Amino acid sequence: MISQAVLGEWYPVAMAALVDAAGRRTLLLGQEIRVFRDAGRIRVTADAGDLAVTERFGHVWACPGTPARALFTIPEADHPGRRLVDCGVVRVKCSPLRAVENFLDIAHFPFVHTDILGAEPHTEVNRYDVKIREEVDEVWATKVHFYQPQAAKSAEGGIVTEYMYRVPAPTASVLYKTCPAMPGEWDVIAIFVQPLTEELCDVWPWMALYDDVTPQAELIAFQQMIFLQDRSILENQIPRLLPLDPGMESPTQADLTSVAYRRWLKRRGLTYGAQMVAA
Amino acid sequence: MTRAWVANGLSRDLPAGVVMHGAWHGQDLAIWRSASGQIAAWKDRCQHRGMRLSHGFVRGETLSCIYHGWVYGTSGACGRIPAHPGLVPPSAIRAEAFACCEKDGVIWVAPAGTEGDVPDLAGLHPVRSLTVEAAGIEAPGLTGMEILQGSVMIAGQTVALGLVLQSLAAGRTAVHALCGGGGDVVAVSRWLEDLRRRLERGVAA
Repeated sequence: MISQAVLGEWYPVAMAALVDAAGRRTLLLGQEIRVFRDAGRIRVTADAGDLAVTERFGHVWACPGTPARALFTIPEADHPGRRLVDCGVVRVKCSPLRAVENFLDIAHFPFVHTDILGAEPHTEVNRYDVKIREEVDEVWATKVHFYQPQAAKSAEGGIVTEYMYRVPAPTASVLYKTCPAMPGEWDVIAIFVQPLTEELCDVWPWMALYDDVTPQAELIAFQQMIFLQDRSILENQIPRLLPLDPGMESPTQADLTSVAYRRWLKRRGLTYGAQMVAA
Repeated sequence: MTRAWVANGLSRDLPAGVVMHGAWHGQDLAIWRSASGQIAAWKDRCQHRGMRLSHGFVRGETLSCIYHGWVYGTSGACGRIPAHPGLVPPSAIRAEAFACCEKDGVIWVAPAGTEGDVPDLAGLHPVRSLTVEAAGIEAPGLTGMEILQGSVMIAGQTVALGLVLQSLAAGRTAVHALCGGGGDVVAVSRWLEDLRRRLERGVAA
C-alpha cells in the first residue's frame, strides 16, 4: 500500500523531446504507465486513467495521485545565457532514495571519481551548513567546499569548488557549484530520479551551465562517465533500500546532508524505497 | 545441521594485497589477504553506507572501502575515516569478523569463535577451483557429502582426489579440487572440466 504522501509527489517519467506518438512504456511506483504524444500534448496514462502531467526542465513529470503542491522551481532554468543539457538516462538497480543520497555526498569523490571530482590526499570534508528550509519544505546544504582535480569539463587543473545542495522533492536533487568559466556564477546540475520500483530507478541528469564552448556530446559523456562510476557503488550497497533506522548505518559529520535528507523523508512519510526497520 | 566451516577457495587464488567475495551459508563475505600475508574474512558490508567491502582495496595491512575509503585493520577495527583525518574513529565502528583459516591450501570460514574441527585433507595438494551449474556433485569412485574423496583412474593413472564443495546461490556449486602427490595436475584439471560438462548436461557422471 503506497501512502498518499508518496502518491501526491511529482516524478520524472521521460525526456520531453523524445516523446512521440508511439511513446514510452515504463513503470512508476511499480505501476505500468505509458508516456506518449497525443495531438501535440503529452499524456501519461495508467490502467486507472490519465495522470496529472507537467513539462519542465526538459522532462515530463507525472503525479500518480492528487498533487500536494506544484512542481518545484529551478529559477536558473530561465536565466538567459545558460545552456540547458539533457543528459539521457541511467538505469540503476537501487532504491531511488539511495541514488539521491549518493548525489548529495562529496566524501566519495576521491575514491569513486578518482582524479576527476576528487583525489587523495585531499579527502577532508570540512563542516558545512545544513538545514530544512521550513518555508519551502526543502533540504539545503551550503558552504560545502572540496578540492577537485577536474571539477568540470571546462575546468583546467585543480581548484577548490564550492557547492550548494538542494532536495526539493523526494526523488530529485539540484546542486550548485563554482562555475570555472564564469567566476561569481554557479553551474547547476540536477538529477531527476524516476522510481520504477522500490529497488529500481531511472536517473535523468540535467544541467544548466555557463559553457558555450564544450560540444554537447562531450558534456553528456562527462556526466555519463561520472554517473556510471556512481552506479558501481549504488548497485552494491546492502540493503538496496535506504535504511531509515538510525542503527543500521553510521554517518559522520560529512554526512549531515544525508542525515537531514533521511530525517526529512521520514517526517513527511516519503518512504517508498526506504527500509523502516532493520531486516 | 549447518556446517560451521565452509570452504571458500584455494589459498593460491588469493594473493597478498587482494580482496575477494566469499560466502558463509548465504551470508556475503569479503575475504582478503594483507601485504604480509595475513588472511581475514568479514561480513561484506561497510557499516557507514552499506557498501560491499569485497569491492574495496588492500593497502599494506588494511582493507579500505571503495565508497568513502574507510580504512579497516586486520582486527576489523576502523582506523581511519578520510573525510575526517584528525578523528580517531569510535571503537564501535568495525567490520564484523568471521573466523578464517587455511589448511592444506584451502581457505575455510566459520562464524567468529568457532573452534577446531577444520576438515582434514592431509596428503592432498590443491589443483584448482571451478564453478558448476548444478546443485549437487557426484562422481564415480568418490564418496562423501561436503567433501568427496576417493581414487579415480585419470589418464591411465590412479589418482587420489578430494573435491571440497561449496554451495553457491541459484543452484551452483564451487568445487575446490585437490589431488594426491604424483597426480598429473593438467590431467586432473581436464578430468574436472569433463565432470562439469557431464553434470551440467544433467547426465549422471
